[in-house]
Amino acid sequence: MAIRRRTGFLDPVRERVEVLERRVLGDDAGPVARRTFNRGLSAVIVGFLGMLILAPLYGFSVAAILAWLVFVVLYVPPWEVIPRVGRFVRPLLALSLAATYPFYALNMFTIPIFGAFPDVATGVKMLVFAMMAIGLNIVVGYAGLLDLGYVAFYAIGSYTVAWFASIQFAHQNIHFWPAGVPSSLPGIHISIWLLLALAGILTAIVGVIIGLPTLRLRGDYLAIVTLGFGEIMPQVARNGDDFFGTGFNLTNGPNGITPIDSPGFGSFTFLAGHGSFFTPDRLFFWTAILLVLFTVFCSLRLRDSRLGRAWIAIREDETAAAAMGVPLMRTKTWAYAAGAFFGGIAGGYYASFKSATFPGDFFFNISVLILCMVILGGMGNIWGVMVGALFLEYLDSEGLANTGAWLNSNLGLNIDVPKYEFGIFGLILVVVMLFRPQGLIPSARRKAEFEVGVHDEPLYNATHG
Amino acid sequence: MTEGNGLMLELKDVHTFYGSIEALKGISIDVREGEIVTLIGANGAGKSTTLRSINGLNHPRRGSIRFEGRDITNASPHSVVKMGIAQSPEGRRLFPRMSVHENLEMGAFQRADRKGIREDMDRVFELFPRLQERRTQKAGTLSGGEQQMCAIGRALMARPKLLMLDEPSMGLAPIFVERIFETIVEVNKQGTTILLVEQNALMALDVASRGYVLETGTVALADEAKALRQNEQVRKTYLGED
Ligand SMILES: Nc1ncnc2c1ncn2[C@@H]1O[C@H](COP(=O)(O)OP(=O)(O)OP(=O)(O)O)[C@@H](O)[C@H]1O
Ligand SMILES: [Mg+2]
Repeated sequence: MAIRRRTGFLDPVRERVEVLERRVLGDDAGPVARRTFNRGLSAVIVGFLGMLILAPLYGFSVAAILAWLVFVVLYVPPWEVIPRVGRFVRPLLALSLAATYPFYALNMFTIPIFGAFPDVATGVKMLVFAMMAIGLNIVVGYAGLLDLGYVAFYAIGSYTVAWFASIQFAHQNIHFWPAGVPSSLPGIHISIWLLLALAGILTAIVGVIIGLPTLRLRGDYLAIVTLGFGEIMPQVARNGDDFFGTGFNLTNGPNGITPIDSPGFGSFTFLAGHGSFFTPDRLFFWTAILLVLFTVFCSLRLRDSRLGRAWIAIREDETAAAAMGVPLMRTKTWAYAAGAFFGGIAGGYYASFKSATFPGDFFFNISVLILCMVILGGMGNIWGVMVGALFLEYLDSEGLANTGAWLNSNLGLNIDVPKYEFGIFGLILVVVMLFRPQGLIPSARRKAEFEVGVHDEPLYNATHG
Repeated sequence: MTEGNGLMLELKDVHTFYGSIEALKGISIDVREGEIVTLIGANGAGKSTTLRSINGLNHPRRGSIRFEGRDITNASPHSVVKMGIAQSPEGRRLFPRMSVHENLEMGAFQRADRKGIREDMDRVFELFPRLQERRTQKAGTLSGGEQQMCAIGRALMARPKLLMLDEPSMGLAPIFVERIFETIVEVNKQGTTILLVEQNALMALDVASRGYVLETGTVALADEAKALRQNEQVRKTYLGED
């Protein structure tokens, strides 16, 4: 599968840039200087286009100019050349921008076509999906196992939190450090913080249980089995109000479980917030950032561990990996469990944020959506996957509707754009695959896969381990 | 031959199948400690299948395989590696997108002794200085000969008791072939037992102490390497002499 980059039509532009670069920097500039030059040039072009085209249409916006400056500071200087601290500059800057987002979200400018910046509640959704995408990236990007049923883990996480932090099991009356739940309220009410951990662990265990029989399968077969599993989950949720005909109401069927307790401490809950500073959305938003940070941290540590190396070896050549002493089953199962773990936590947190969980939240299209996030951003690269997830989830919850409104009002159309969501996502994916098959921000390793042009050989069966 | 004699590996009447195809039809092979034993035979005779049966990639349906007195007939590949059998597989099978250095590290995957791993890395670089020059290069972009060195080096990184090499000279220029065989002898002298599969029967029988000739899944001949070199039939079929 040697896929070559097709960038032919950009070559003249590239040549001209190179000539310019040589004229400015001289013939023997180092790669750092050249990259900085190129990035600076792109930043100038972006700013120029903004001034030339958008400003006359939309008026000058201080926020837009500030945003452009921030982009320049983040993108252009070769921060990584500063010894030791250099490589933290970009992540830390990005993190502080994200953390302070609730304070300036409302003062942002309107992006042409896309509309306003997402509000903070949408931000929570985006972060939750980033977490799920980074989890799925462990399975797909690191270990190279195609999982089409990732939504199942999201469902299990959601229902775990729903069961143990709602009045679903009303004949019980178990309270364990819930936040702001009167002790007279029936049902099981356990602290959301504990439940998030429980959701992660339970989901990971389910991941292992599903993994053991299915991970013996290769490629296409594994994809089909995971697909089936992902399809079963919402059905179980839908029909779980009469569990296997026993009359036991496990999932409350199509009505879902709602309301679900909110996170908090003692009598302080996220749902109520505190004053005008700690609004519910902000509290959920900041906590989501912490969860994403946790996921990123674990994911990076895993990647650089012995286990991470084993995943890459399996992805490159399963048989050779086995011959080197990599226990295939165990290693793949760990990938599944780790991916499931983060999917479960994300699902649980999201259920608590929405205060509800419904079978309809867990259809196949969500699996595909999360997979798209991983592929679009660049399989294997956490930053790429995060960008892909934030962008697609933004489109999913606000962007497409805004764009549709813009189209309809400007072109006099009457199209329900969000209805064509998956067609549009498919189109985005096709375009990205054509022009940048390694994803928006590929990992160094994946990049090599596309550039070196080495390809996989057929394998014989090695299913042990 | 008993275990007291240093019998290291013992295949008894091994039958291995690919689906319904019987690739090995009852093969018995012994390897003693410190030896170089070679398997020769025509294409499709079952040489690679024999190695795959030993390292657990294709379990025999009948027969038994013992290593240092322990039954490994149905052992998983990783436990076989852990017991001390490493392999440089047919077609090298490097991890193409990993660097040379990372490939060598993968060879030591089952080991935890950092110091020993570093020593072995130095040793591999001593055997193949070319690899040291190319340490950071992606293995998939190495030349054929360099890849072969990397594959052998990777197997050595497991610090195996038994090293199995599947056609290490395949596709190499004569000068490289000689280099590889010198290395095999060198590694053997340093104390590693070697099971060598080769198309290049002449060279293989030169370095080996004993040899087996496989024919369509059975052992046709088994003898001292010297005797096989003199054998009329072997000379005709495998050494290309009349
Ligand atoms: N994966 C497989 N599926 C089916 N048949 C196989 C498979 N691998 C090998 N065989 C068959 O098993 C027999 C022995 O193959 P093997 O690879 O062991 O031969 P070999 O002696 O190593 O040959 P060569 O010198 O060409 O490498 C052959 O007839 C081959 O076609
Ligand atoms: Mg062979």
